[in-house]
Amino acid sequence: MIEAHDLTKRFGSKTAVAGIDFRVEPGRVTGFLGPNGAGKSTTMRMIAGLDRPSAGSVTVNGRPYRQHTAPLREVGILLDAKAVHTGRSAYKHLLAMAATHGIGRKRVREVIELAGLESVANKRVGGFSLGMGQRLGIAAALLGDPATVILDEPVNGLDPEGVRWVRTLVRGLAAEGRTVLLSSHLMSEMAQTADHLIVLGRGRVVADASVDEVIARASGTSVRVRTPNLAGLNRAIAGPDVSVSTLDDGAAVVTGLSSEQIGDAAASAGIAIHELTALSSSLEDAYLSLTADEVEYRSTSVAPTPEEVAR
Amino acid sequence: MTAATLTRQPAATIRSDARLTFGRILRSEWIKLTSLRSTVWSLALIVVLGVGLSLMIASLGSALGGEQAVADPNTVLTATTIGVGFGQLIAAVLGVLVITGEYSTGMIKSTLAAVPGRLSVLVAKSLVLFTLVTAVGFVTVFGSWAATYPIFDGQGTAAGLAEDGLAIALAGSAVYLGLVSVFAIGLGTLLRSTAGGIAAALGVMLVLDTAVSLLAIVADWVSDVTPYLFSSAGSAMAQLPFSDNPDQFGLGLLEPWQGGLVALAWTLAAFILGAIRLKRQDA
Ligand SMILES: Nc1ncnc2c1ncn2[C@@H]1O[C@H](COP(=O)(O)OP(=O)(O)O)[C@@H](O)[C@H]1O
Ligand SMILES: [Mg+2]
Repeated sequence: MIEAHDLTKRFGSKTAVAGIDFRVEPGRVTGFLGPNGAGKSTTMRMIAGLDRPSAGSVTVNGRPYRQHTAPLREVGILLDAKAVHTGRSAYKHLLAMAATHGIGRKRVREVIELAGLESVANKRVGGFSLGMGQRLGIAAALLGDPATVILDEPVNGLDPEGVRWVRTLVRGLAAEGRTVLLSSHLMSEMAQTADHLIVLGRGRVVADASVDEVIARASGTSVRVRTPNLAGLNRAIAGPDVSVSTLDDGAAVVTGLSSEQIGDAAASAGIAIHELTALSSSLEDAYLSLTADEVEYRSTSVAPTPEEVAR
Repeated sequence: MTAATLTRQPAATIRSDARLTFGRILRSEWIKLTSLRSTVWSLALIVVLGVGLSLMIASLGSALGGEQAVADPNTVLTATTIGVGFGQLIAAVLGVLVITGEYSTGMIKSTLAAVPGRLSVLVAKSLVLFTLVTAVGFVTVFGSWAATYPIFDGQGTAAGLAEDGLAIALAGSAVYLGLVSVFAIGLGTLLRSTAGGIAAALGVMLVLDTAVSLLAIVADWVSDVTPYLFSSAGSAMAQLPFSDNPDQFGLGLLEPWQGGLVALAWTLAAFILGAIRLKRQDA
């Protein structure tokens, strides 16, 4: 269980995480979804005590990460950037990490096998492909058999087989009752892996709901309606979040209500409906509409910030 | 290769008392240090350069000098510790790399996630490196002494380890090397940059010396500072004790034990500055 209260991180004048509250429950895969720069990695670093919150707090199983006596057994984390010395072999890296907790060779070999790294375990990490690096990071995260697993963009650089492996792995971890938090900037990836989504945009929680709800909420907001009595329908469905625009062909597009809500409102007002179509949008569209106001860097942006270059 | 291999209730391959202890952190740092090729190379270089240079100097001396037939601990000491001047540079680079290598590769994040208290990592790193470098220093200077013994013996100037506190002086130079490596860890932790750390360490050990001796030409009192410089303190540690060797007074160095304290103070200062940044700032 991870709990964040008013969690805030500022880098100079830039607010990366803007006072968010959320809870990651055990037994299911929680997806941390948001465009690049939304604050996912920063939040994860704060959970693991690597970055200190500017305000607010975050706890793992009721305690700040730093207060745990066996942090690796509490939380296993895969960070977005490689966090391994390139001059060391994968085996020695894992052995050194494990040694801090008195975890021995047997377990190290076990996670190497689990991650499918047997053939490269004694090679220096510097020569690893992105995918092998990800597998090593996941192996390291699982060293302590942790109750909570945090993976930042785990499928980055993995081939389709690797992506499937991660998906099966995290689903299995959650099924065993662990708390699993994994981030991605791809909605489609999340829809296949996560049970629950926390959508982040510009450091704020935009949505915190089940995957189905998030998709429904985002994609069900636009409905095409044809009626002989548009003025009547307008009155029947009027509300603060509802807007109606008329199309050239005489139909109207309603946003802010589901097709069920519109149909019901029309029925009780006795208004005939000739057409009622939820304008289905793709998952990516749904996600974009959710975070539309929250995207920090659009593809039109000219130059990356220095921090981006550094990463 | 699926999650099924992982059992939820504590993996059988993990002992039930698996948690952080300082001894385990020491062990982890030992594994880290000894599993990098750069460590092995640097340490080997200290020994090879040290013994090699000593042999060279000793044979040059024997080629030039005549027969003295008197034990000469000072000459023996100079020849056996001649490589320490280079050794200290290698120890400094190694010390900086031990920590900045973690920053440049991102390893530090894994390290600090495993040991979120942070300070124990720095203490463990320092202890492990100090022990290893000091041990290598011992091997180097005592090895140099042993290797050059036959040469000096041929001239009749050979000095036994017990003579005039020679063994203490040799030990002092080895400990100095260990302190240099920890001093460098401190600077590397403070600056988080390999280039910056090496520049700062070499700056203190080489440039500061030169700067002070140049300044001393214009301002007399500056020369009073000289014995308190890090490398002067190191030289003091590596000389024969005054009581055994009254003519050392002219060199303007501190007594060996005082030099040791001054070098320790420099080391602690760098260590503490590094520790403060490590503890306070995001990884
Ligand atoms: N160490 C840092 N210094 C300054 N700004 C940072 C730092 N880390 C992250 N940021 C900024 O914080 C914001 C959130 O970044 P990040 O957490 O990496 O987002 P995400 O993981 O969702 O892509 C970005 O604008 C990023 O540039
Ligand atoms: Mg990120």
